[in-house]
Amino acid sequence: MIKTVDLKKTFIGRGQTVYAVDGVTTHIKQGEVVVIIGPSGSGKSTFLRCLNGLETFTSGHIMIDGVDLAAKKTDLNLVRREVGMVFQQFNLFPHKTVLENIVLAQQVVRKRKTAEATEKAHMLLQKVGIAEKESEYPIRLSGGQQQRVAIARALAMDPKIMLFDEPTSALDPEMVGEVLEVMKQLAREGMTMCVVTHEMGFAREVADRVLFMDQGKLVEEGTPEHFFTAPQEERAKAFLKQVL
Amino acid sequence: MMGAGLWIATKKIDYTWRWNRVPQYFAYVDESNVPAPYDARVVSLTRAGGTTKVKLAGESGEEGVFEVDNDSLRVSENEDLFQGDYLGSTSEWRAGPLSVGLWNTLWISAVSSVIGMIIGLVTGLCRISNNATLRSLSVAYIELIRGTPLLVQIFIFYFFLGTVLDISRIIAGISALAIFAGAYVAEIIRAGIQSIPKGQMEAARSLGMNVSQAMIHIILPQAFKRTLPPLAGQFISLIKDSSLVSVIAITDLTKSGREVITSTFATFEIWFVVAFLYLMLTSVLSQVISWVERRLSISD
Repeated sequence: MIKTVDLKKTFIGRGQTVYAVDGVTTHIKQGEVVVIIGPSGSGKSTFLRCLNGLETFTSGHIMIDGVDLAAKKTDLNLVRREVGMVFQQFNLFPHKTVLENIVLAQQVVRKRKTAEATEKAHMLLQKVGIAEKESEYPIRLSGGQQQRVAIARALAMDPKIMLFDEPTSALDPEMVGEVLEVMKQLAREGMTMCVVTHEMGFAREVADRVLFMDQGKLVEEGTPEHFFTAPQEERAKAFLKQVL
Repeated sequence: MMGAGLWIATKKIDYTWRWNRVPQYFAYVDESNVPAPYDARVVSLTRAGGTTKVKLAGESGEEGVFEVDNDSLRVSENEDLFQGDYLGSTSEWRAGPLSVGLWNTLWISAVSSVIGMIIGLVTGLCRISNNATLRSLSVAYIELIRGTPLLVQIFIFYFFLGTVLDISRIIAGISALAIFAGAYVAEIIRAGIQSIPKGQMEAARSLGMNVSQAMIHIILPQAFKRTLPPLAGQFISLIKDSSLVSVIAITDLTKSGREVITSTFATFEIWFVVAFLYLMLTSVLSQVISWVERRLSISD
């Protein structure tokens, strides 16, 4: 599904070169739920943003369904419509109602008819449990509701894979549960997911595989049981001691 | 107090207020005499409402019907007329110079606002584009226009470009205003676009939209809403700045006012009236824009 080969991303600023992502090679298979954890600044968000081309990478390769993002002739817009993304700050479109948020890209990008797009939007709002809010503007929704709308908006494009960039980090603690519940449901339905999160409980319960990143490098990877009970690397052990 | 002070002051310089002479410069009744076009006899007079139809039979067989106002009728039935004798007169309402000037100011400002908005939008987008050439061209344009007085620009447009490219004064005037406004609008639009959080563009792109789709559907509508207050200020300025085109003899409100003053010497009255008319135009625009702002604020 997604293969990255020696992925590198460097930022150059004030004469210093920062290796945000430093040689990550991994493979996310169809239907797999991969959770990326690591300390702040470890490059996990940057890695995720590279996967749908929001961030350009310096060297290496990303293959999505056999399409190489590094190739010059690759149309990123075509790739992105197959890769859904959910942001930490929701990034709903504030000038559009909940329904319009979900319908817009279907019409503009997928060229669906209004009726078809609206039906799809209703179905998804039902699924994430906020069907009654469809004509509200995002500002009137709680953080958890906004994030569920954002998930529905991404799902409306029928993506083959969903990327979650710290989807619960900007939420009040009591709203975290409702968003995680929606994500668990997606995982059960067999959606391929790549999740950057600090929710260790979610990682342990839902992940098929955990990637631990530090200073841009992929330090350790394995099943949740292996990672949370018997990590091999010192850095991972130290991290887990802090967070668990 | 101030009113009284002004009254005393004008009394002192022996100024005679003649407000009653102002209305005729908005609209007046124009009377024109209707002459017999040829030697003829009046066949019949038929009254219809406020006018009378005069039927003439010419010496050499011509026939014609002419309409004049009842109270101006000067002929009776069977009367013989020579060519050029007046049958009577007709009167009609005509727009006076102040109305014509107001109308000209209105449409000149409207046209240059629309063009200025388009120029500003395009320049604003160029200003933030990744293309270095477009970027520096738009910066050069903005700096050039903002750094020189509008009056000088109008003179250059009219005397230089007008002569070289053979364009009329009205086109020269409108272009100068539009290009002047465009530079300011560009900066307003750029600021508006840059004030939209980066996440909005990223969200739109992550859904598969290309840059122009994201701009049209996501960024510009939000930027437009934010830039409405400064844009309103800019277009109100444009209405007022349009008074400068009177220097290249375009009959706008200011020039009409000057013309009326030369024939009436009612200097004080006319300038007050002209100021009031500008105020009317600008306050109508303010009202319209604040109405749009209220409409757009439902998503706040």
